[in-house]
Amino acid sequence: MVRFLLRRLLFAALLVIAVSSGALLLTRLAPGDVTANLGAFAPPDEVARTRARFDLDRSPVAQWGGWALRASRFDFGDSFLYNRPVGGLIRAAAINTAILAVAALAVATFIGIPFGIMTGSRRGAISAAVRGVSLVCLSVPPLLTSLFFVFLASRTGWLPSGGMTSVDVVDVSWSAWLLDVLRHLPMPALALALPLAATFERLQSQAISETIHQPFVVAAMARGVTWRQLLLDHAWRASLRSMCAIYGLAIGALLSGSFVVEYVTAWPGLGRLMYEALRARDIYLVAGCAAMGGLFLAFGSVVADLLLFAADPRVREGQAA
Amino acid sequence: MKTRLLGIVVTAGMLAVGYVFWRSPGAPGSTTSTAAQQARGGQLVASIRAVPRSFNRLVAREQTAELLSLLTQGRLVRINRSTFELEPWLAERWEAAPDGRTFTLHLRPGVTWSDGAPFTAADVLFTLQAAFDPKTESVVAEQLTIDGKPIAAAAPDDHTVVVTYPAASGPGLRLFDALVILPRHKLEGALKDGTFANAWNSATSPAEIVGTGPFTLREYVPGQRLVLDRNPRYWRKAADGTQLPYLDRIVLQVVPDQDAELLRLQAGDIDMTQSELRPDDYVAAKRAEDQGKLKVVELGVGPDADAFWFDLKPEAWKTDPRFAFVSKREFRQAISYGVDREAFAEHVFLGAAVPVWGPITSGNKIWFSPNVLRYPPDVNKAKEMLKSIGLEDRNGNGIVEDAQGHEARFTVITQRGIGWYERGTNELRTQLARVGIALEVAPIDNGALIKRMLSADYEAIYYRPLATDLDPASNMDFWLSTGSGHFWNLPDQTSQDRKGRATQEEGPAPQEWEARIDMLMAEQASTVDLEKRKQIFNQVQKTFAENLPVLYFVAPRLYYAHNARVLGVVPSVQRPPALWNADSLSVRGGP
Repeated sequence: MVRFLLRRLLFAALLVIAVSSGALLLTRLAPGDVTANLGAFAPPDEVARTRARFDLDRSPVAQWGGWALRASRFDFGDSFLYNRPVGGLIRAAAINTAILAVAALAVATFIGIPFGIMTGSRRGAISAAVRGVSLVCLSVPPLLTSLFFVFLASRTGWLPSGGMTSVDVVDVSWSAWLLDVLRHLPMPALALALPLAATFERLQSQAISETIHQPFVVAAMARGVTWRQLLLDHAWRASLRSMCAIYGLAIGALLSGSFVVEYVTAWPGLGRLMYEALRARDIYLVAGCAAMGGLFLAFGSVVADLLLFAADPRVREGQAA
Repeated sequence: MKTRLLGIVVTAGMLAVGYVFWRSPGAPGSTTSTAAQQARGGQLVASIRAVPRSFNRLVAREQTAELLSLLTQGRLVRINRSTFELEPWLAERWEAAPDGRTFTLHLRPGVTWSDGAPFTAADVLFTLQAAFDPKTESVVAEQLTIDGKPIAAAAPDDHTVVVTYPAASGPGLRLFDALVILPRHKLEGALKDGTFANAWNSATSPAEIVGTGPFTLREYVPGQRLVLDRNPRYWRKAADGTQLPYLDRIVLQVVPDQDAELLRLQAGDIDMTQSELRPDDYVAAKRAEDQGKLKVVELGVGPDADAFWFDLKPEAWKTDPRFAFVSKREFRQAISYGVDREAFAEHVFLGAAVPVWGPITSGNKIWFSPNVLRYPPDVNKAKEMLKSIGLEDRNGNGIVEDAQGHEARFTVITQRGIGWYERGTNELRTQLARVGIALEVAPIDNGALIKRMLSADYEAIYYRPLATDLDPASNMDFWLSTGSGHFWNLPDQTSQDRKGRATQEEGPAPQEWEARIDMLMAEQASTVDLEKRKQIFNQVQKTFAENLPVLYFVAPRLYYAHNARVLGVVPSVQRPPALWNADSLSVRGGP
């Protein structure tokens, strides 16, 4: 188990280095740079100073080398847009993204898995309707879902139409802040969760329908096990293997931040920060966001492995062997 | 009966007086709104697209930094963004010497910083010293530099400042609208330490930032919002004696996406934005106005128009034979004749635009000249002009070519993702195809576009370069052949001042008409008499319209929408359209 975790940590470190270095170099090599934000006709001296500050006057390799050296000391450079160190910005955004991701994951899980078990084990009009809704949710891109929810919120006034907290939340208690965040959470969380719930439903449905025809399930049925027990204790547990793999990826993807949902709903998370950074060619902020995204992806992968480890005795036996 | 008549007359008189007070621009130091119209208290929420990079306006030029400076700081004088007249601000009056170089400014007595420290002439001298300190790397120093020399200042007493210009300057004291006065008692240490450039950066605690503006910074949440509270020590009062500002609080909410911004405006989540409506948003905003949610106001014709130009830098074309006709004035005039501006306005700006013939639009009321060469749409005349320079469709493929068969086919780049840019280039392609000029449209990222523009790596561009100020003397970099904003033929230089003087390196010799514009612009910038300046600048516009280094087709009519509950909005065609006058804004049902 320890060796397994060490291997995973090494993989995570390599992933973070590869993703952040790739992001930095691609941002550097893409046409245009951060000085475009100074305006089309900024004084040449100011442009030169800005290029020097962000090491754009050095070769891409030299720039990467300097950045990597500083990053090894947890100094990820400064952001042009925010004019402050990247580290603090990423930490704050990552926490906000994590709040959103956990909420979305919880919603997707509690909707997708039960409906998946139902549609995978039963046929009928309700199952067909659920499958139909799932397909619609899978087909609609997150941009449209987000815009729909923003539109709905702005038209009905049921929920805040964007942001993470209200503008009135200044110098309030921790509990008041939390309540306010909870009011803002449903809209972006649902926008993120619906396609994910549909994915879970489809996968779970397929996994269950395959599992309930396995001989061990038929044997259990012959032993007189109730349908409910059969589904939950036997078929569902056996179907978890494929679910765990996708679950880990979903965790990683959600925690890396959703560009579209965070941008449209003005949720101040990692995805939105990355998007703004990319648009402005804010090179060290892009690299920092990518590093954090990579870290979250690696975390998701570890979670997937651990879930699989817990759910499937064959994996545990394989590790032990 | 007599009593009734008298009552009607008195009421009518009161209404008339009230109307006059309501319409008049207002004396400096007071506003015209009455307590009956506007009540104190309440909170206004406005959106911003980007966070500030610094709270120190001397080192930050972006829009949010300028907005924050308007809200939290003061200037000696300000340009009224509605009338464009110069108004006394922290200086309540001034005298100008006859030579147009020396101004004696008398500071308003009793003004204090938001932390209670008195505001004196020492703060003004300190700010000028900081602006001109090379370590500050100030973004406003160039605007306050004349003939390569800084403006000098002295303080005979605590409430008097004498500023002396190195040479006579056309804009005069208007230059001081760019200078936000900063507190010496807070920032003197940073200037002495050489760290002023980093002082009041975006990581600074809001409590550290003091000003003489109507609001003080209360909270800054990066990426989310800025909260500004009323400055209880603000010096300005309304005409009825009400202490300004009316509002208790302004919240600047970061909403980077313009679609989401409009939705939030319609929903009442935000009260106003910092930009005019896009042509595509007008209908939705008008509908919301009909429902009583928004108020839509026409700002007038925008001062900036979309521009279309070819790279006229000879080195950029190297041996490309097309430069032989691109560089000819007749070629560009043929394009101007070939474009139907009314149709262009209809298709690109959905009708909300007016034809223009040069860079100065009718939105710039002081400097616009209608007496320039105009090019009514005439496809035949355009073809004749092309023929006169040897361009005609010899092979019948619909595209004109020169005698050697070089076609008038060009790639035009524009910024991706901006609806009217993409519509504009497509409309140009359609219209110019009728005269035999083929355009291939390539929308690209803004950063890439700017890079290609500055490195002269393009054939043609469709874009809207924004002027920094309505006064042409503040846009010398555009007009002068040595200027960094002379984008159709950028000089080969790495360093120069905004006036294009002193440090420029030798570039290609300007053409005769460019040299004439250089001379006229230098003359008008050093002329004090406004009427004379206008006459000189009219000649500049005339020369520009005849030679067409840049083609302008239409200027948009600008519309602005804000929540109907906001009172006291005096809209401006310059950004910010409403918050420039934040101390006089109020909200209905505020407190």
